[in-house]
Amino acid sequence: MENNQNGIWIGQKDLNHDPEFIKAAQQEDQTSLLTTMGDEQLATEADGSRRDFLKYLGFGLGAATVAASCEIPVKRAIPYVVKPEEIVPGVATYYASSYVKGGEFSSILVKTREGRPIKIEGNSLCQVSKGGTTARVQASVLDLYDVNRLKGPQVAEGEGFTNSNWADVDKAMGTALRSNATIRIVSNTILSPSFKKLISEFTAKYPNAKLVQYDPVSASALLDANQESFGKRVVPNYQFDKADYVVSFNADFLGTWISPQEYAAGYVSKRKINSAKGATMSRHVQVESHMSMTGSNADHRILVKPSEQSSAVAFLYNEVTGGKVGVSGLTEKAKKALRKTARQLSSNRGHSIVISGNNNIGEQLLVNAINHHLGNYGATISFDHASMQRQGSDSDMATLVQEMSAGRVDVLIVNDANPVYDYHDGAAFAAGMAKVGTKIGLSYRHNETSSLCSILAPIHHGLESWGDAEPKKGHFSLVQPTIHPLFDTRQAEENFMMWSGADMTKSDQPYYDYLKANWTTNVASGAGFASADSFWDGILHDGVYASGGTGEGAGSFNMNLSAATKALIKPSSSDLEISFYEPLSIGNGVHANNPWLQEMSDPVNRTTWGNYLAVPVSFNGVNQFIGFEGLEDGSLVKLTLGDKTIQVPVIQQFGQMPGTVALALGYGRSVGGFATKGIGANVNDCLTKSGGSPQYFSSNVSLGKTGRKEDSFSCVQYHHTMGVTDQNKAGETINADEATLAPGYGNIFSGFQGALVERSIIRKSNLNHLTESVDDLVHEREHHDGLNQQTLYPYDKYVEEKYAEGHHWGLHVDLSSCIGCSACTIACMAENNVPVVGKDKVSRHQEMAWLRIDRYYYGDVENPNTVYQPMMCQHCDNAPCENVCPVNATNHSSEGLNQMIYNRCIGTRYCANNCPYKVRRFNWNDYTTADIFPANQVKVNGEDVPYGADNLTRMVLNPDVTVRTRGVMEKCSFCVQRIQEGKLTAKVEGRRLTDSDVKTACQTACPTGAITFGDTNNKRSEVYKKMISPLTYEVLEEVNVRPSVQYSMKVINKDENFEA
Amino acid sequence: MMYKSLTYKGLASVILLFVCSLAFSQPSADLGKTLFKTNCATCHSKNMKTASTGPALGGVEERWSDYPQSDLYAWIRNSQALIATGHPRATAVWNEYKSVMNAFPGLTDDDIASLLLYIDGMYAGTYGASAAAAVGAVATEVQDKGIPNWIYWALFGGLVLFSLLLSRIIGNLNVLNAEKEGTAYRKKTLFETLTSKGVVSFILFGLVVLGAYTAASNSISLGRQQGYAPEQPIKFSHATHAGVNKIECQYCHDGARRSKHAVIPATNTCINCHAAIKYGSEHGNAELTKIYASTGYLPKGSGEYIEDYENMSLEEKKEIYTGWMLENAIENDEKFEKVTDDLLEQIDAEWDAVVASMTNEQKTEVQGPIEWIRVHNLPDHVYFNHAQHVTVGGLECQTCHGKVEEMEVVAQHSPLSMGWCINCHRQTEVKFEDNEYYKSYQKYHDELAKGDRESVTVEDIGGLECQKCHY
Repeated sequence: MENNQNGIWIGQKDLNHDPEFIKAAQQEDQTSLLTTMGDEQLATEADGSRRDFLKYLGFGLGAATVAASCEIPVKRAIPYVVKPEEIVPGVATYYASSYVKGGEFSSILVKTREGRPIKIEGNSLCQVSKGGTTARVQASVLDLYDVNRLKGPQVAEGEGFTNSNWADVDKAMGTALRSNATIRIVSNTILSPSFKKLISEFTAKYPNAKLVQYDPVSASALLDANQESFGKRVVPNYQFDKADYVVSFNADFLGTWISPQEYAAGYVSKRKINSAKGATMSRHVQVESHMSMTGSNADHRILVKPSEQSSAVAFLYNEVTGGKVGVSGLTEKAKKALRKTARQLSSNRGHSIVISGNNNIGEQLLVNAINHHLGNYGATISFDHASMQRQGSDSDMATLVQEMSAGRVDVLIVNDANPVYDYHDGAAFAAGMAKVGTKIGLSYRHNETSSLCSILAPIHHGLESWGDAEPKKGHFSLVQPTIHPLFDTRQAEENFMMWSGADMTKSDQPYYDYLKANWTTNVASGAGFASADSFWDGILHDGVYASGGTGEGAGSFNMNLSAATKALIKPSSSDLEISFYEPLSIGNGVHANNPWLQEMSDPVNRTTWGNYLAVPVSFNGVNQFIGFEGLEDGSLVKLTLGDKTIQVPVIQQFGQMPGTVALALGYGRSVGGFATKGIGANVNDCLTKSGGSPQYFSSNVSLGKTGRKEDSFSCVQYHHTMGVTDQNKAGETINADEATLAPGYGNIFSGFQGALVERSIIRKSNLNHLTESVDDLVHEREHHDGLNQQTLYPYDKYVEEKYAEGHHWGLHVDLSSCIGCSACTIACMAENNVPVVGKDKVSRHQEMAWLRIDRYYYGDVENPNTVYQPMMCQHCDNAPCENVCPVNATNHSSEGLNQMIYNRCIGTRYCANNCPYKVRRFNWNDYTTADIFPANQVKVNGEDVPYGADNLTRMVLNPDVTVRTRGVMEKCSFCVQRIQEGKLTAKVEGRRLTDSDVKTACQTACPTGAITFGDTNNKRSEVYKKMISPLTYEVLEEVNVRPSVQYSMKVINKDENFEA
Repeated sequence: MMYKSLTYKGLASVILLFVCSLAFSQPSADLGKTLFKTNCATCHSKNMKTASTGPALGGVEERWSDYPQSDLYAWIRNSQALIATGHPRATAVWNEYKSVMNAFPGLTDDDIASLLLYIDGMYAGTYGASAAAAVGAVATEVQDKGIPNWIYWALFGGLVLFSLLLSRIIGNLNVLNAEKEGTAYRKKTLFETLTSKGVVSFILFGLVVLGAYTAASNSISLGRQQGYAPEQPIKFSHATHAGVNKIECQYCHDGARRSKHAVIPATNTCINCHAAIKYGSEHGNAELTKIYASTGYLPKGSGEYIEDYENMSLEEKKEIYTGWMLENAIENDEKFEKVTDDLLEQIDAEWDAVVASMTNEQKTEVQGPIEWIRVHNLPDHVYFNHAQHVTVGGLECQTCHGKVEEMEVVAQHSPLSMGWCINCHRQTEVKFEDNEYYKSYQKYHDELAKGDRESVTVEDIGGLECQKCHY
């Protein structure tokens, strides 16, 4: 087996040293690369004719003349009539609130300008979400301005819906809600204690009413297993900050599983390296077939087929506890690795965690037994502050579907859920709905379920609502509105108050009164506050409240081993298996109409706008890596799943178990807004069912080639790569894969990007030889520094002259802490008005993200380790982009910022060509409709009004950042608007600037604290301390551009004899 | 043939040289005007004859004629420094006026010469009277400073003469050459020379250059609107409020100290005072009713907000307000003692004016925010923050906005061009010592302490860098 310990590569294309790719990658204009991507038609279309150019030139001159002869338009300044006390125009106001979407939770601060929410930050007071955010949290502000929102109540009429009003809706519901009617409320997990109380009051009034909860990706088996083991149907409180050894069976706990933000913060706290001496780290073993984001961060991945997950759990159970559960399947390699895992787990008793993301009660029970045997309950796993973030029940849903099909349900209330799409038996649910009398959808926008409802009662966005959440027992968080409802909507809770017969006339905001009363009487009881009002004011300010622990122990452990064993899944003998996973970006379709999330690249396979079938890559033993059955990136295949056939494009995936493929859930929506139209394929109806629970894999799968390629292959992995070639001694351009594949070439941590030789992009090490690596790094940096000093303009000298005074801004990224979650990339888009370009433009390498997360593989080519490297403008003090600009539109400030001046830029793109890091982005089109030519405006995904031109969407723009026009270059500015704001605050207060004054958007978004920003001239700043650490390095240090961004070495804790 | 082309080249270079010479900077009254407006107009009156905060400037050079010119220049740059040296004239002026004049270390000798030219021109009434007079003033005033203008003219004349001479020689050479080769050489007529390809294309080239230059210099002022003074929906007089009644600017423009926007006050800020002051000194009911009607406030008795105002018809509103206006006029104005037809007519007309100025195509109701016309506009790609300038920099509002307290209708005082911003950033000193924030500029503090440096300007701490304003 090819075990390439030395090289780092970005994908199959550069490992195979595809000559066309290498040639194309040397050019900044990437249209020629389209041909190597198999898209010659697009490539030729990209050329405009000379005649067109002259036409536009003539028209441009004419337009300019007309414009010049016009008078300056009269602009109006419209003040408030009565100015709200807390608003100062031009100054942002922050409100503490919470992001809640089903079981997803994050405590947030909402930045509003002149009454518009424009950005979301984490709330560091919250002990659950711990101050960070996720990509979905960051993107939720865009949902508020979704053009596909329902703008008022509607009723079904014929094929479609007609507009209605709230009085009619309430009247219809009054008729439907008879006291003896059978009423079912179907909802995703409800975290709100006040809403739960309301529902209990509702069900008290209507005795035949019942709440049915389910989750878009079910965790029902986990809950049921805890019910059986401990009598508590909850997710226990996993404390990853206490775990030295983590074993995860298919649970993407850093990306999507239960409470990823909380788990990531805890997990990374165990993996940060501050100094090489005496460093400790947790070890993480992931058992899976498809490389998940969590798996990519693991020290070891044990490859098992999806249907072998049960066997793997059972095998580990036997090894740890000495049990005798029958095991079949599993490769010898996997068995060896599991045996080793069991031994290492046993020496980490009381400080390890074993989890499973599989929805199988047998596996979950065995996992509980393993944790119990290891003494982890009460140590790393507790039921004190147990998580409420998944409450769904597969059996309740199955019962509901039965009841509906039997025609026993009179009224169905769908509370912001979409079971027709995301429930595994959506077809049965839809069929059942046809037999329900009144179906009311409390829906945010039209979706597959709402289109089958008879009444649509549109709900507020979270940023328009009052509410609360109890994500973990005893941890409360408040939701408060930050904008007046934009449309004629009503929050779900008020509907239930109305229908329970509460008096709604007493107040303008009846649910606010209800909520406040519930908090001041129930939540705060015994909290020891001076008065209910002071408690409430404190909550409004802080957003969170934590009551003391309940001290609840695990209690006695019960398991019926034979029943558990019976529930296990037998390995399939099928040649091909497919696993289905929840994508980090759009969830199971819940966030599919958010263009920011659609365009966010998946951290592992780097695809955007659609689900790509991950196929394994194998080494042919000579010099080539070949995709499964010779499939290439972008090949279209026919995938037959049971009796359903879909067509999906392929992405080659290193680390994918041979004989398995994987596909993301959440795509292929039939109703769901403009950004979902024609994007990807739906596989929610192809899940395997076992014991009434959906299993997120299938063995009943076959794959047929079509011989065609996808039109717009929107994977960004090969975009903006940092120099893939080098020259040999004879001066010829060579593909240095030959060198990287040759044994003994290079040393263990010097960076290679596939074909690169001796370019320091990625530096990595393993815990057991960290000190040597650090010594080598220090030595090599001295070597580079020596060479870099051989110049007429020694850096140290001009630093002293130019940058020693005032501030010098710097940014530090800890590669060991970065898990690739992409929250920073969305935060950057929100903060800096970065446009969305759509699938077609992404395939032409025209995505605009200022901050990208590069993914590199290294190690074993069939099961590699991964490094994520956030890459943004490095603000070089010796910047190559600056001296090639003919109009000085990019230049350097005395504070070390590489300034990009849009109004000066004439679009030569010389700077982007000369940038060694490839971080500059050119506005090929008029994404934000700043000019007057409609032909330049880009439709993102076939919407009516171009995405960037819609006045509703544009409400999300940050007024402190210029909206760029077509034809100018842009790039990361180190959030200069925040720098200026921070400096001003310090000046106004007459004090020195501190770290907390200036934080970049990427820094505050990060859930793991991987990014630190600050003034490197201030010796007391956090960033200065990190930059002088011996683990820190500069990317491409040898080219002497003197970047202001520095990285710390990626360190993992791999046992080199793991499979021995 | 080769000699011919030389002639044109010679001519072209002479003319180019001349054009270039015009572009050289030299003292001019126009530059002086700009400098005066930015630096001096706040304290010194523009007619140069009356004293304002500072003394009248007319005849300043005469008053200083007993001393070397450098003394006057030093005085203008930094009066306090000159006083400190015990200069007799400086001490005399200080004792007379006792008011500290700002230091302007950034002014060059040419700048000061320009300023003096302008002052003299304004004092004598010659500035702007005729171009010829101004040129004359230039010629006489600047004799002993720099290169006087006549030298350029002389040089130009000399060079023209020289090129004529050259073309004569070339012509002769051509004749000689023709004779030598045995061919006939015919001299061109003047008409032939003027219509030759070379001359025509040179003239065309000149026209294109001139056209481009004009287009470029005119397009620079596109979008600029210095002196813009639109009529506002309410005849609000800053002269009355800020001038006569001496209301602090920031009482109403309360964003200036804490936000990027100075903020146009909300209508309820007006009501704060106008709950008591119900009858305008200039316009009586006519203008004040606009703010009442826009908020639904009825200042009758102790004042009240009218209930359900937004749902009333225009007729109902009219009835309420005209009724009140009638009482108010009789109560407050000596002209009216009882209800007369004239008064009723006047009030009807006033109400119609209220409706007309408070509504427009988009805003059809009398109530609601007042749509003022924005006077000071910056392009979207410029970030300007009032708090930085007002709170941190300690600038007076008048520095940029002019004497608003004397304006009946607000006009844009400054050009608000980038050059104007940059100029100020070059000259303005940072209040360096008083603010702890600037401690991070240790070197400057050391230099100030040692006396190596007189001051730190905004430029010195990066105030000219692009991303201070453009991001």
